[in-house]
Amino acid sequence: MNGRLFLQQVLNGLAIGSVYAIFALGYTLIFSVLRIINFTHGAIFTLGAYATYALTGSQFGINGLLAGATLPVRLPFVLALLGGSLVSAVSGVIVERLAFRPLRTRGADPLLTLVSSLGVAVALVNVTQYLFGAEPYSFPDPLSELPSAVNFGTAGQPVLVRTVQVVIFGVSIVMLVLLTYLMNATRTGKALRAVAEDTTTSSLLGIDTDRLILLTFVISGFLGGVTGTLIGLSVGIAGPYFGIAFGLKGLAVIVLGGLGDIPGAVVGGLVIGLAEAFVPAQYIAYREAVPFALLFLVLLVRPQGLLGRAQVQKV
Amino acid sequence: MSRHFASFAVMVALVAVMAGAVVSGALVGHAADPIPIGVSVAQTGPVALAGQEQVLGAQIAEEYFNKHGGVNGRPIKLVFQDGGSDEPTAINAFQNLINVAKVVGIMGPSLSQQAFAADPFAVRAKVPVIGPSNTAKGIPQIGEFVSRVSSPVAIVAPNAVKAAMEINKNLKKVAVLYAQNDAFNKSETETFQQTVKDLKLDLATVQTFQTTDTDFTAQVTNVLNVNPDLVIISGLQVDGANLVKQLRDLGYKGLIVGGNGVNTAAIFPICKAKCDGILIAQAYSPAYKSKINDEFKSVYKDKQKKDPPQFSAQAFAGIQVFVEALRALDKKSPLAKMDLATLRVELNKQLIAGTYDTPLGEISFSTGPGMGGEIVQKQAYVAQIKMEPDGTKGTFVFVK
Repeated sequence: MNGRLFLQQVLNGLAIGSVYAIFALGYTLIFSVLRIINFTHGAIFTLGAYATYALTGSQFGINGLLAGATLPVRLPFVLALLGGSLVSAVSGVIVERLAFRPLRTRGADPLLTLVSSLGVAVALVNVTQYLFGAEPYSFPDPLSELPSAVNFGTAGQPVLVRTVQVVIFGVSIVMLVLLTYLMNATRTGKALRAVAEDTTTSSLLGIDTDRLILLTFVISGFLGGVTGTLIGLSVGIAGPYFGIAFGLKGLAVIVLGGLGDIPGAVVGGLVIGLAEAFVPAQYIAYREAVPFALLFLVLLVRPQGLLGRAQVQKV
Repeated sequence: MSRHFASFAVMVALVAVMAGAVVSGALVGHAADPIPIGVSVAQTGPVALAGQEQVLGAQIAEEYFNKHGGVNGRPIKLVFQDGGSDEPTAINAFQNLINVAKVVGIMGPSLSQQAFAADPFAVRAKVPVIGPSNTAKGIPQIGEFVSRVSSPVAIVAPNAVKAAMEINKNLKKVAVLYAQNDAFNKSETETFQQTVKDLKLDLATVQTFQTTDTDFTAQVTNVLNVNPDLVIISGLQVDGANLVKQLRDLGYKGLIVGGNGVNTAAIFPICKAKCDGILIAQAYSPAYKSKINDEFKSVYKDKQKKDPPQFSAQAFAGIQVFVEALRALDKKSPLAKMDLATLRVELNKQLIAGTYDTPLGEISFSTGPGMGGEIVQKQAYVAQIKMEPDGTKGTFVFVK
């Protein structure tokens, strides 16, 4: 492999990996606090993308209940992105109230919560299809003024990465920094970590655990909305099942990075992206197996994931 | 004696009435009851987009043929059963239509690989099936009750490569990409690759992907490395359109031939202005001039404000074949007097024997031992996509 091709594949890997990482951030946030996998994340991510699409004043197509409908507003892309992400955040709250809180207050087994979130995810996806139809949509391109790819090589030896991928990479790093700051340097973050450590004790210490758990869903939903929109910007909103496809990969990413570890989610995403990019062309059919093979190997050596802390079992 | 005779007569009458009830239960309802035809296409799942277009085409056909007298005065009634986008859902839907809804025939499923799984159930139950969009190799060979109104790729696909050679006379190097997790696309790419070899072109690289993929940078990098004059893509709508978009984003300037999966305006929202120029061999053209196509097109346009896609036209043709075969059969021997099992078998024979003037053009069926009807379609079409510069609207312009 020559140097140019190597650099191209590294950048390709980082570009794919940042998509996985950005998806996994919202996933891992819920896990870090509640120790449960929130399967609704993919559906909320999709909903955010549809909401942003609506807020840009774009028209819905021919198949759903809202066929031919447009909102009377036509927001610029960045405002629509924020609005769409707020819709996702609100959906996160509703999901928490409907699928998680009733089980938590009854002290139900975490496995039941997992099943409940899976049920809500399926329902959300189907409501989305009922409302918006199955057809793909794409946003009015806010990057249309820019060239479609950025050249990291020379004019004669181009190493091209799509501009939208560069943007996604940048946003995932910004999101990582903000989340790390929130968790490690603010009072809310400390309280969240206390809730994650022990809900009962933190509640006895005067922390309003229900409020903080709700906040976690708000942040995770908001991140889901941002992510859904940005990935939608890159590959279009491929239909109501769009987010579900990222769910399984997202799971591999957060387990690889260390369950509940925020920088771990980003590292896990980038590692899987890079591993996929280096699958030789003739074996590309096996590309889907790479993240899981890698996961298997890492878990053999480090059961807590790449950046996760080993759990001390108290007897 | 007379009392004995009277009770005997009553018993005989009762038995006769009961037997009559049983026999008439096996008949296909009363002469005025609508005739049930099953439709099992992908109303949910990743293929729902194509499925919804098929539902629309079938509904237009139901409305149209019932308005034009149905089956010699008796209306038809479509029974929809979601076939989903996977094999188990399609099998369930088929069994439901066969055993519960007791339809005379089934149009479906949407995907070739669903057909390979679900059609054998219809063959065993001796229920005629018409595939509206199953274009892989070997579909009518599943069994003598399986026919299709979708031209197989082996016949349609080579036309697009020939059209590309007309546009670029120096065309030499070809890159082929295909979705390796889909039976139809695997079958289509074999045809494309064979065509490339037959036309003495240089098959520089073959790349694979999955229909669920969204990122194709690895494949695009490999394609750009061989610097091809033509890229041929066999994929479904969303993955195919994203692949086109990413090829263009990363600087590919040559011609692109798309397979049947991208043969829909539904790719426009994904690749927008970058869809421009894609060449597609088609089994249907809205530009084809005929009375039935004009009527179909105008009803579709009234409802959807755009030209009908191939999936809708093929679904319409599928229902049309059932209706016209039922009409012909009814004239030979009245349907109301036939029990369901006989009707299904006779309908199958009749539909394979007929010739139909459909929106796809004139179609008939060829057949052989152990197989159903393979479509023989008179017209062939190649279209090139022309997009408005802002990428919002596009049309299929027919090049041949």
